[in-house]
Amino acid sequence: MPRVNRTFVFVLLLASSCAFLLFQLYYYRNYVSKEPGLHLLDPAGHVMSSQVQWQNLKKFLALAQFFRLPLFLADSAALALLSQDALRQRDRAMHEPHCSFLCAGRPITSFALPASQWQLSPGFLLAAEQKGFQLLEVRGRDPRLASLDTLSGEEIPLHFLFRLHGYIIHVVLLYERSGGYLWHGALRLKATADPTFAPFRLLDYGRHAGAYDRPELLLTVVDGLDVRVPRNISRFLVQRQEARFLECRYHDARSFLQLYPDDSSAAAVEFRRKAKVLLRLAAQTLGRLDIPFWISSGTCLGWYRQCGVISYSRDVDIGIFISDFRPQITTAFRDAGMSLKHQFGQVEDSLELSFLGEDVKLDIFFFYRDGDVVWNGGTQAKSGRKFKYVFPSFSLCWAELLEVKVRVPCETLDYVMANYGGTWSVPVKSWDWKSSPSNVIENGVWPVAEWAGLIQVY
Amino acid sequence: METWTPNPRAKPFIPRQQRSWYLTWKYRLTQRRSLRRFCQAGAVLFLFVTVVVNIKLILDTRRVADEDAADQEYEDVVPNMETPRRPASGRKVLDIEVYSSRSKVYVAVDGTTVLEDDVREQGRGVHVIVLNQATGHVMAKRIFDTYSPHEDEAMILFLNMVTRGRILIFTVKDEGTFHLKDAAKNLLKSLGSQAALGLSWRDMWTLVVKKGGQVYGEKHSKSPALSTWGDPVLLKTEVQLTAAEEAECHWADTELNRRRKLFCSKVEGYGSICSCKDPAPIEFNPDPLPSNNVFNVPVAVIAGNRPNYLYRMLRSLLSAHGVNPQVITVFIDGYYEEPMDVVELFGLKGVQHTPISIKNARVSQHYKASLTATFNLHPDAGFAVVLEEDLDISVDFFSFLSQTIHLLDQDDSLYCISAWNDQGYEHTAEDPALLYRVESMPGLGWVLKKSIYKDELEPKWPTPEKLWDWDMWMRMPEQRKGRECIIPDVSRSYHFGIIGLNMNGYFHEVYFKKHKFNTIPNVQLRNVESLRKDAYEAEIQKLLREAELLDHSRNPCEDSFVPDTDGKTYIMFIKMETELDTSTWTELAKCLHVWDLDVRGYHRGLWRLFRKRNHILVIAVPISPYSVKKPAALVPIHLEPPPKEEGAPVEQL
Repeated sequence: MPRVNRTFVFVLLLASSCAFLLFQLYYYRNYVSKEPGLHLLDPAGHVMSSQVQWQNLKKFLALAQFFRLPLFLADSAALALLSQDALRQRDRAMHEPHCSFLCAGRPITSFALPASQWQLSPGFLLAAEQKGFQLLEVRGRDPRLASLDTLSGEEIPLHFLFRLHGYIIHVVLLYERSGGYLWHGALRLKATADPTFAPFRLLDYGRHAGAYDRPELLLTVVDGLDVRVPRNISRFLVQRQEARFLECRYHDARSFLQLYPDDSSAAAVEFRRKAKVLLRLAAQTLGRLDIPFWISSGTCLGWYRQCGVISYSRDVDIGIFISDFRPQITTAFRDAGMSLKHQFGQVEDSLELSFLGEDVKLDIFFFYRDGDVVWNGGTQAKSGRKFKYVFPSFSLCWAELLEVKVRVPCETLDYVMANYGGTWSVPVKSWDWKSSPSNVIENGVWPVAEWAGLIQVY
Repeated sequence: METWTPNPRAKPFIPRQQRSWYLTWKYRLTQRRSLRRFCQAGAVLFLFVTVVVNIKLILDTRRVADEDAADQEYEDVVPNMETPRRPASGRKVLDIEVYSSRSKVYVAVDGTTVLEDDVREQGRGVHVIVLNQATGHVMAKRIFDTYSPHEDEAMILFLNMVTRGRILIFTVKDEGTFHLKDAAKNLLKSLGSQAALGLSWRDMWTLVVKKGGQVYGEKHSKSPALSTWGDPVLLKTEVQLTAAEEAECHWADTELNRRRKLFCSKVEGYGSICSCKDPAPIEFNPDPLPSNNVFNVPVAVIAGNRPNYLYRMLRSLLSAHGVNPQVITVFIDGYYEEPMDVVELFGLKGVQHTPISIKNARVSQHYKASLTATFNLHPDAGFAVVLEEDLDISVDFFSFLSQTIHLLDQDDSLYCISAWNDQGYEHTAEDPALLYRVESMPGLGWVLKKSIYKDELEPKWPTPEKLWDWDMWMRMPEQRKGRECIIPDVSRSYHFGIIGLNMNGYFHEVYFKKHKFNTIPNVQLRNVESLRKDAYEAEIQKLLREAELLDHSRNPCEDSFVPDTDGKTYIMFIKMETELDTSTWTELAKCLHVWDLDVRGYHRGLWRLFRKRNHILVIAVPISPYSVKKPAALVPIHLEPPPKEEGAPVEQL
């Protein structure tokens, strides 16, 4: 009897483990195998899979070509490989098509597309679906209408994800913005979208909105496929690193302007016009020198608080890290038709330049890193007193002010709060730069003997 | 048994290998010991595999879960706002209440008021509501003031356009029969009304009927005397909804027809667009222009809540040669559904604007937002075409702009290019190839230069509290700064709007109905380069030299003032001492039946127009610099307004 029992137990065990195993295999297939790049049961799958990915890309690019979509390769991994060894690429292109650049060991390949070329989309999308691609379209608010709080348009397409055989082709749409740059939106899924559609964390684009210069494109052959790539790949990749774009807080700005209406007098209108010209000139001049700058002080506050310039601030303030200082700055601004008004301090300490253009002052403050803070200096010309303005350290983002693409501290609120305190949202017309800022520290006096070199007023 | 061999004849059709396997197993399983061993081994093996797979599974699912968590931040925080739909299996019967009285009408569908009008001195006449027979949604709402003439014709037109099967609700407010002619009454009778033929002065009446189907209810109360109204009537009835399939047409499944289907399920009153058999096209594919300089110039259509106008306007716009639908944006002032439905029907881009302020300031704020948005949406564009929803667009509108737009870029003395000639009526415009420079800003289909808007107009645009007309403001010297607009002799737009902020039927009849509108495609404009500032002066001088002097002793209002010639140029001089001395021109404009409400369409005190196919130059003496051409002895024509009392001043457009 015990023997019979034992057999029975075995059979039972066998049956249940069989059932369990089958269930798990089924579940496993359903849940995990959808993840691309996972070939647990097929260790030799990689070569195969890159073939599959290459076939996907070929199919997709042929389709894009048929619909005359001027896609260009924007994949960071692929572009990095391309920029590293352009020579090796030429060698490989001679061989049979082999997906060594475009696949790059990742299940995603990213392309960008100027949105103005995105015409009559249904045809392309339908064709792609017929070719077997699964599509995820991510739409979002149109930022070009957001500046006018009173307008609401349809949501515009921002990202397309095409999935086939577990591989993703990511198409990010680049919209032309008023500041003469290209913009792409952040990728945010709707509640109804499938959050497992793609490994979103691995996407090159979409974590934040981004701003890019219009890249010059080059048609080339990569892995045996005709692909457009940015002519200056490394520049594009650098841009990608620091592309994060902050939209102005238009809604809050509108509330602010309802509370404190903008000055619409002729003088204020004229100042805004001049400030715009000056800012554009500064951006062009420093852009030519490749010196990154950000809007600072009152100009930054104006952007953050009211998406414009504060009409009674009477000047334009920008910041530059002292590590980016170049002596050519002065001559470059002179060549751009601006005159040096004063120069305070020295490269080692509290450097500050002021230019005059369109009879509006452009103040350039140089920022010094000191541990986990950054600071800039100020000098009172008549007394030689020195001041120091301390900010928490920050990274730089792109933003648009007066239709000019400028940088702002990404942690804008911290920056503004440091400078203007908790009451930054209340306009203050009588402002003393030596005492009003909440982050000002007295920093001694310049030695009188050195005044001639340190305090130059023209 | 160990040496058992298969018998081939026993089961000849079973494949050999299979059979032997089967038999081997059968044989083995009969051995209890081997069975037990096998079971043990198998169980252990399976247990082992299960454990391995399990561990793998746990690892992988954890990894996936990690990624999911990381992807959480991509998810939109906005919850799904879509309200749950009413279950389709819900009620299939609609309760309808219709009320008709002297001072108030209302219609309630399933307890929801879809029409309520108790405002005094408004909403007189027959109110008509169209419901979708499958969903019960309101598809159209109209009032026909059949107390006034011709409104019954509009009602007939509308009722004929409604698709068969729709539910029609009628109710009368105040008076709706004075000009309700027999044709309309017969149509109502054919719809199933019993009382229609007997409807008379100040009767109250309600009717609920399915077009081409049953009558759900009708109530009528006669007015007892001329001075009194009939008693109010309240009709309560039930309407059986039909299945959705019966309410739809079966068009081929294309992108276009999907748009059409959506549109036709929501609104009514657009005629053959929704015809099942032979629907009107919604895609026009007009010819492209051979070389189009305005293909990428954005087009802003400024619209309010006049969806039928918008429909007519967009049809003409999308039929114009060289149109690029990709750059058209319709800006709708207010969150109205029906204009948006029209925009989507044509597959265009629509943007809605939250109304700010009132009356003219509301229009002005809408214009500002629309223009700013247009240049935001098209940062590369140097110009924008501005249109309104109550304009027909000429077939050669874009051809006209394509030939002239470079002037706006190159000649700083230009303010705009407009498709509209204020003085271009049927009897005063002749030459589709002729262009003028004028000092006023006509609007009504015009091109705005980006730099003018961005640098000059936008920063000082009138704020919402200023109740100014945007166009009057743009015409002010502070904005125009002496610059001029280019216009054609024969307008490339036609203003058909009868209802509007500054518009009524009489006003339209007098000033807009007889406006000349070009219908010839691809007109080659003449001497476009001579429209530049200096070249135009030379052109004028040439005209003045060849012009013949009209007989100033005759009455300019008489037909014989201009000789019955063809293709000649004549010149006349009128008195105008100062800019404000407009009486002679106004009187002349009145008898010429051109625009006389203010002084428009001149260039340095010179008007150019056609009479009897002759070109007439009218020169204001002495303010025009061309006055020097006047023979010294000639006395300029002077007209005084008749002494009679002027009526109520007509609102200016």
